[in-house]
Amino acid sequence: MPDIETTAAAAANEGAATPIIEMSHVDKHYGQLHVLNDINLSVEKGEVLVLIGPSGSGKSTLCRTINRLETIDSGEIKIDGTPLPQEGRELAALRAEVGMVFQSFNLFAHKSILQNVTMGPIEVLHTPKAQAEEEAMELLRRVGVAEQANKVPAQLSGGQQQRVAIARSLAMHPKAMLFDEPTSALDPEMINEVLDVMVELAQEGMTMVVVTHEMNFARRVANRVVFMADGQIVEQAAPDEFFDHPKSERARDFLNSIKGH
Amino acid sequence: MSADTISMRDALYEAPGPKTRRRIVIGTVIASIALVALVAAVAWRFYITGQFAPQYWEFFTKWSTWNYLLSGLLGTFEVALTAGAIALVLGVVFMLGRISKNKVVSTIFRIVIDFFRGVPSLLLIYFFFLVIPAYGIKMSSFWMLALPISLTASGVLAEVFRAGVNAVPAGQREAALSIGMSEGKVMRKIILPQAVRFVIPSLISQLVVVVKDTTVAYVVSYPDMLQNARVLITNYDALVSTYFVVAIIYILINFAINQASIYVARRSGTRVISRNQEDPV
Repeated sequence: MPDIETTAAAAANEGAATPIIEMSHVDKHYGQLHVLNDINLSVEKGEVLVLIGPSGSGKSTLCRTINRLETIDSGEIKIDGTPLPQEGRELAALRAEVGMVFQSFNLFAHKSILQNVTMGPIEVLHTPKAQAEEEAMELLRRVGVAEQANKVPAQLSGGQQQRVAIARSLAMHPKAMLFDEPTSALDPEMINEVLDVMVELAQEGMTMVVVTHEMNFARRVANRVVFMADGQIVEQAAPDEFFDHPKSERARDFLNSIKGH
Repeated sequence: MSADTISMRDALYEAPGPKTRRRIVIGTVIASIALVALVAAVAWRFYITGQFAPQYWEFFTKWSTWNYLLSGLLGTFEVALTAGAIALVLGVVFMLGRISKNKVVSTIFRIVIDFFRGVPSLLLIYFFFLVIPAYGIKMSSFWMLALPISLTASGVLAEVFRAGVNAVPAGQREAALSIGMSEGKVMRKIILPQAVRFVIPSLISQLVVVVKDTTVAYVVSYPDMLQNARVLITNYDALVSTYFVVAIIYILINFAINQASIYVARRSGTRVISRNQEDPV
């Protein structure tokens, strides 16, 4: 792919700092299906990268390979200059540095909201309980669900649950955050409350990789839009350029198909 | 219970229409008559064979009789609870081995589980009673009963726990991994606590099986309730009445255990099952 060089990375950081996430020649198959085909991608510190593409294009898989919830067949993924370990303590340590927000929230169903957020700091970072709870309450206030701290996840709305999930990730002080279709499972009226939190995070300089169908969010917040189809990165550009002047046929088709709605 | 919970019958079958309802009424009447006739026939047979004679029943008015039965019941409880506790621990251990990613380990535990699940507990009791002492290992009758019962139960419980673990959505594990928890910690802190909640009703039902398994205590001459009942039968020559009373006690105990499991299932069910609902309350 000739046009894979990072074009919009400059938006985040000048100079040749190590990228937070660097993928080179990443390949993955599901049997016959080539889900990731020679993916080269790097995300600079503070950059907000939005991954879009038709369903089945491999964008979620790509997102999940970054903290090795999906393994890869070949190629290399580096987090802040360190190659992603394959297993064990080292892998866990690296995962702790990369936050992940899932489509289905995945809050720990048997724990209170507060415990969901303190779980990582207490169990992984060995933060004293009192301090972890204090930080957790601060984060819950930030995402606007502090009053729900003692409820269990099932008592919260989807939007609230997803905001707690973001707080849970933030509690680990991650270097980067991955969002795997964070608003796709939400009722329409709850999408904005989650996007607002994400916009705020982006403005604070969080490095983010976001798989989403929210084109307005992409246009407003992304430093770079990466368009995927059939396991390949087809096109990447700054959002205005991509949405107004898509270069590839496939991107034009995709944008037209979602405009119809 | 909240209004949104529907009974199993409502979930599986259509609500009956007028014709079906009439058929149900007729069926109920016929079945009731048959049942009453059966009970009457049994009572009649008892009567003409003299089973209602005072000599078969009046020793139940003596405290010593009940004292003896209840001390047997205590023995039953001791064995059942010990065996149950061991089975719980072994069940978790076997399950963890069974779901190991190491093929050799998981195969070994699969064989172990299938063995204990498949072998009758009585056979294992004979093994502990007749074979093991032959190799010089001495064991009290309590353990000769409790260990085999716990082993057979642990095979079943391992599969119960495995079903529970499989019922925990994959996302729970992924979320825990993504905040940097180790596989072991994910199992201990996230998966197992939820899995156990899913299977609490099955665990308690399995306790009923354990209680019933203890009734073969006579093999190792352990004084459980049934063993003591047999002594009473010999003393008073009152077989039918004694077994009748003892059967009712067993039924009451197991009924209580089942009620407890229903209660626990409802209590934990409201908390766990409605995980991704928008507004469960």
